Amino acid sequence: MIQFFHVYKAYPGDPPVLSDINLNVEKGEFVFLTGPSGAGKTTLLKLIFCAEKATKGQILVGGRNIARIRESAVPYLRRNIGVVFQDFKLLPHRTVEDNVSFTLDVLGVPRAEAREKVRRMLKLVGLEHKADSFPLRLSGGEQQRVVIARALVNDPTILLADEPTGNLDPALTVEIMDLLTQVNVRGTTVMVATHDATLLSRYQKRTVRLERGQIVSDEDGVKAARRMVV
Amino acid sequence: MSALSKVVYFCRSAAVGLKQSPFVHFIAVTTIAIALFSAGMARGAARVLDNLLASLGGEVEVTVYLSPELDADEVHGVRAHVETLSGGVATLVSPEAALSRLRTELGDLGEALAELPENPLPVSLELRVPPERRNPDALQALARALRDAPGVSGVDYGEAAVQRLSAIARALRFGALVAFAVVLGATVVIVAATLQLAIYSRRGEIEIQKLVGATDRFVKAPFLLEGLLQGVLGAAVALFGLWAFGRVLGPTLGALFAFLLGPGVAAPWVEPRLALELLCAGCGLGLGGSFVAVGRFLRV
Repeated sequence: MIQFFHVYKAYPGDPPVLSDINLNVEKGEFVFLTGPSGAGKTTLLKLIFCAEKATKGQILVGGRNIARIRESAVPYLRRNIGVVFQDFKLLPHRTVEDNVSFTLDVLGVPRAEAREKVRRMLKLVGLEHKADSFPLRLSGGEQQRVVIARALVNDPTILLADEPTGNLDPALTVEIMDLLTQVNVRGTTVMVATHDATLLSRYQKRTVRLERGQIVSDEDGVKAARRMVV
Repeated sequence: MSALSKVVYFCRSAAVGLKQSPFVHFIAVTTIAIALFSAGMARGAARVLDNLLASLGGEVEVTVYLSPELDADEVHGVRAHVETLSGGVATLVSPEAALSRLRTELGDLGEALAELPENPLPVSLELRVPPERRNPDALQALARALRDAPGVSGVDYGEAAVQRLSAIARALRFGALVAFAVVLGATVVIVAATLQLAIYSRRGEIEIQKLVGATDRFVKAPFLLEGLLQGVLGAAVALFGLWAFGRVLGPTLGALFAFLLGPGVAAPWVEPRLALELLCAGCGLGLGGSFVAVGRFLRV
């Protein structure tokens, strides 16, 4: 589903942010991307949804080489990728329902159909009773659940989450991670960037570790969890 | 998405934008309104100037001197020919009438004319040319044609005065055009700057739109629509201002300058053609400003 071949990313005058990244994420897989701050986790995710362009190397997403993608084709690629951010990126003056249906407005889904999809998605994330609330009236966990609903409402094949629990307390963190796991069980490929070691040991998923822009380990969930414990 | 639902979405989004930054949009609408009001006033002034020139130009008469050997029938024949050639109206002036007029114009010196053994003035035709021929080129061409006509011994039309008048009108029109271009340019810049503020306040929304897969055209459309709405509103305000100006101050100005201006001053300040022109100009200004403004905010 996602393949990196000798990918480099560097900004002029700075050392490379990513160096010789080779990675293969299968369809339906759940992958943790971990490492210290500045290791290149966010940049790697940004390369996948074309918010950044690789300096060198090839990236295939759903079989399509996005290193050579035309600027005008980027929006159509992004429609298959849901993105969840640590800082939520919700529109404060719009209701929860409007925030979630925002994606469908962009895709041109008819209003009635969009309303139905939004209701279903809010039910999935447990927020159907907050449809008319405004984001700032919600807790951090609820806001993040709205973001996940927005990212999933158009049934993307890939979900990318950049430190989705970074601003949340442990209880809410578990709540959000359970939701992401549930999404993965439904068939969506999920990549979560986090530096929270407790998550890795708790959920025991494939873990790719980045340090100074390079992949230093790529382990299955059990192995990674065992190493965390040790 | 059907075309209709897209239009509905863009309109809704534009309305939200207007609601979210009312002050910024107020500034843009006011700027457009002032520019268009000025343009409308300039158009009114140009019309008054045209009337003034036409009335002054109307006083420019072409005098056609006829050969002395013509008899009465031939004089009438030449008169008819001159009228056909010019499209104007020719008044026959006998030598006696011309001499009498000259005597009056000379005042005390006119007495000297009594000493002349015979009247030296020929029969002449005073020709009032139609307005479309009251410009230097047309008058020159007409004079040339009249000089070549049979029975005509000379033509005089105050060539220098007509040329000076036309030069003044040309200079005024050019000046107005330059001023109008400067005002339009400044308006586009101001509208673009104010719209950039409005767009900046919605940069979060644009960022999310781009992240969830909106095309550039989809992101731009509501802002262009906002610009268009600003243009329409600005034009409406300007037209109302011109109408009110014409209603309140028009009659007073007409009375004040009646001695100088032609009948056009009493015409309404807002005519359907002017309204249409200002509306189109408003739409152009709003669209132009928003087009300039949206470009740099789409790189997410």
